[in-house]
Amino acid sequence: MLAKPVPVAMAQGSSCWGCFQSLVDIHLKLADVLPLLDIKYWQAVVDYKLKDLEGYPDKSIAVGFYEGMARTEEDIHLLKVMRQKCQTLIAFGSCSCFGGIPGMANFSDIEQCYDVKFRHNKTVNGGSVPSVNVPAITDVVKPNTDYAAFDVYLPGCPPTSKLILTAVTALLEGKPLELPPYTVCHYCKREKKETPISEILRPYVGKADVQRCLLEQGYICMGPSTWGLCEGQCVNKGATCRGCFGPSPPIMKDHGAATISMLGTYAPIDPDKLIAQVKDPLGTFYRFDYPTSHLGRIRIKHEEAERRRK
Amino acid sequence: MPEEKTIHIDPVTRLEGHGALTIKLGPGNKVKDVQFNIGSTRFFEQFLVGRPMEEVPRIAPRICGICPEPHHLASVKAVEAAWDVKPPPAAIKLRRLLIEAKQLSSHAIHFYALAAPDFVFGPFADPSVRNVAGVLKHLPDVAVQAIKLMEFGQELCRDIAAKAIHPATAIPGGMLNSLKEEERDKWLKAVPAMLENVQKTVDLAKKVVNLYFDVITKVAVTPTYYVGLSNKGVLDIYDGTIHVMDPSGKMVADFEPKDYTKYWGEYVSDHSYATHIYYKLAGYPAGIWRANTLARCNIADRMATPLADAALKEMRALIGRPSHHTFGYHYARIVEMVQAAESIKKLLEDPDIVSTDVKLSDVQPKAGEGVGVVEAPRGTCLHNYECDDQGIVTKANIIVATNHNIGGIEKSLTDAAKMIFEQDGLKKLKLPEPLVKT
Amino acid sequence: MSTTTAESSPAVNWEPRIIAYCCNWCSYAGADLAGTSRIQYPPNARILRVNCTGRIDPEFILVALEMGADGVLVSGCHPGDCHYTSGNLKLRARWALMQKTIEQAGVDPRRVRLQWASASEAQIFADGVKELTEQVRKLGPIRSEWK
Ligand code: SF4
Ligand code: SF4
Ligand code: SF4
Ligand code: FES
Repeated sequence: MLAKPVPVAMAQGSSCWGCFQSLVDIHLKLADVLPLLDIKYWQAVVDYKLKDLEGYPDKSIAVGFYEGMARTEEDIHLLKVMRQKCQTLIAFGSCSCFGGIPGMANFSDIEQCYDVKFRHNKTVNGGSVPSVNVPAITDVVKPNTDYAAFDVYLPGCPPTSKLILTAVTALLEGKPLELPPYTVCHYCKREKKETPISEILRPYVGKADVQRCLLEQGYICMGPSTWGLCEGQCVNKGATCRGCFGPSPPIMKDHGAATISMLGTYAPIDPDKLIAQVKDPLGTFYRFDYPTSHLGRIRIKHEEAERRRK
Repeated sequence: MPEEKTIHIDPVTRLEGHGALTIKLGPGNKVKDVQFNIGSTRFFEQFLVGRPMEEVPRIAPRICGICPEPHHLASVKAVEAAWDVKPPPAAIKLRRLLIEAKQLSSHAIHFYALAAPDFVFGPFADPSVRNVAGVLKHLPDVAVQAIKLMEFGQELCRDIAAKAIHPATAIPGGMLNSLKEEERDKWLKAVPAMLENVQKTVDLAKKVVNLYFDVITKVAVTPTYYVGLSNKGVLDIYDGTIHVMDPSGKMVADFEPKDYTKYWGEYVSDHSYATHIYYKLAGYPAGIWRANTLARCNIADRMATPLADAALKEMRALIGRPSHHTFGYHYARIVEMVQAAESIKKLLEDPDIVSTDVKLSDVQPKAGEGVGVVEAPRGTCLHNYECDDQGIVTKANIIVATNHNIGGIEKSLTDAAKMIFEQDGLKKLKLPEPLVKT
Repeated sequence: MSTTTAESSPAVNWEPRIIAYCCNWCSYAGADLAGTSRIQYPPNARILRVNCTGRIDPEFILVALEMGADGVLVSGCHPGDCHYTSGNLKLRARWALMQKTIEQAGVDPRRVRLQWASASEAQIFADGVKELTEQVRKLGPIRSEWK
């Protein structure tokens, strides 16, 4: 055991708090882990303020977690401060690694986002974008990696409690974190027979055979293109994989492209039929990692250019 | 004005959400303005447009990782309302078990991790100890009972929904997964210990209520409207009609979720990315309401289960109905935790809970609109989508629990700030000795 | 987002840059034949040889676009003639999905083209390059959408 508690910091950009909830969900192991930590910053738990974090000497925090994406100027600032103060900085969860679900905001223009949120919707009418004592919203979601370099990526929406515990234990012991490279299918208990798909089904259609591969039954499952660190939790409970752990290593490759490649192989059906049956390829294949994908990069460049023009 | 000053607290700690606090004081420490600044937003309502509607229950939970189950279920209910789909009864029972399991774990974590450090160590103890790690160190028994309750709830969610955080199995027409008999047996076996921990929590809470009675009844007593679901007078977090109670305790509205736009207003403030939901018929700010535990307990005539109902009566005897006591929220949380525990037991004992008849096979999308409402731990959670004939979302409006409470939070913070800065009221309060001295 | 094109203002001194992925067994040979037969086609295409179009991951196309290729052409054996039986059918399904995806993302799908050309169809290959080049010329440089 370690002699002295390790200084750690937990920071959140724009996030849903699910990654930290998943950390808390190591349950009784908290009793082992918490005493090993000297928590220097964690908004949900200790009463240290941003000023405290800013005041610590550079690199004085051994391990830092950054949950969420950077949607505001304040998020970006916090991310940079974390980089400065922490020796090892962890991209905690898929939002932090790849932009995550909120990265889908890049499907639209920021003005469209503002319209629906503040100006005109069922219950909102004629509001304007808040501007007093709130940090500015960025025009587009850029991946966190554009603002700061990370030492460790821990994907997942959220990373499982088991994965977090493995990672935290390794880091606290100063050991390298070695993770198995397999995809979700590796952990899936369903039987695969390598049958090509003749039709794509939406997930509410019919009742799936519980023994057989969902993909081979026609339900889009991203298991083959997704890193299996979750150990197949959805597919083993009846739900198709939606790719929340991002692509298998090397993790910065294009997850959506890999999925399209995989699905085309499984379903070599007539293009018109295929297009009619796959309703939303962008929102399905790029659900968790649009900002770090090639297409997402093209989009970011486009949005930034639009802004400059205005 | 030399005497003007602004106090900025960033971030507001031990609260779920991205918040800062700005307090403006004028000459003589007069509280001029209290702002609760929610500093970010992620635009779900925009990027849900274009998605197939059955995918939304798997996307929308990412609004909140602390209570994703209510979003998952409000979302699937909205889709079912739009497509006119009625899931089999066993699926509804499974969903109820899911939301009650979340309620249990959420209330436990909230009480122990966010609130308990203050009364365990006293509100003025050093920040390095006044936190959940400190509770663990100094009162391991209390911490362990908290963790066990959380664990029970979260792991039960996982068995039903594949993941406790961002559940995956609710689908228009039912559930993709049924509870296995061996899983049910395992949970039934764990029920007695869980109930015991709930009882211990109740005992602890009662002790705290007695010790802090002065604080509860004098700080941040803020009359507002209240909003919440109730099922024919009974507190129900999965189904019911939406009720509105006015500050005097009179029920002023009771309506079907689909009619919400007549009653719910959404105010866009200039200093927060979170909008404020209020009672439209009273206007803003007069119609500021609060949701969450106390609101539900104010609104319900009675609880759904016997021990919880007894606890509600006890609470009312102490702080009345309606109670405007902001610290009463902790009390109401405990009352609801009892109901969650009893409901879980009842549902697990129901033979239908392991039925495999939990999904329809002939669901069809159609053009239309649907509203789905459930109660999240922190208040009424509403999803409203419109879709085309392929079932692709064309419009989304989502109201999360927190937004009902922002107006109320500012109001109660103003009351608290006035007491602190204008009346130097903290000194006059009877504060007990902390349970643990640091 | 609207698919922005520079139709009205083609950049001066700009020539479309096209990446062409060609199957070794048919179109690559076809391209070769076009050369030896002196069939005229625009010099804008950089040809990359793959063993079969079944080898083509949509990432190849997307990475080319991200790096600034104005158009991407894929040319393979006719359906039924793939030397690995069904490589091109797999590609055809991927292609359909990819095209829909890039369109959803706001990239003009007319920047990418899939065609079938056998080893003897030099003219078809050349025409394909020509048509895509002209199409892309009308759309303008992809970078103009980013600047
Ligand atoms: S990765 Fe998922 S769980 Fe973590 S903050 Fe983002 S949305 Fe929440
Ligand atoms: S494709 Fe999905 S269902 Fe099939 S084996 Fe892989 S993970 Fe399992
Ligand atoms: S199965 Fe897929 S969607 Fe489910 S947790 Fe694993 S990676 Fe995420
Ligand atoms: S060998 Fe030419 S496409 Fe497969």
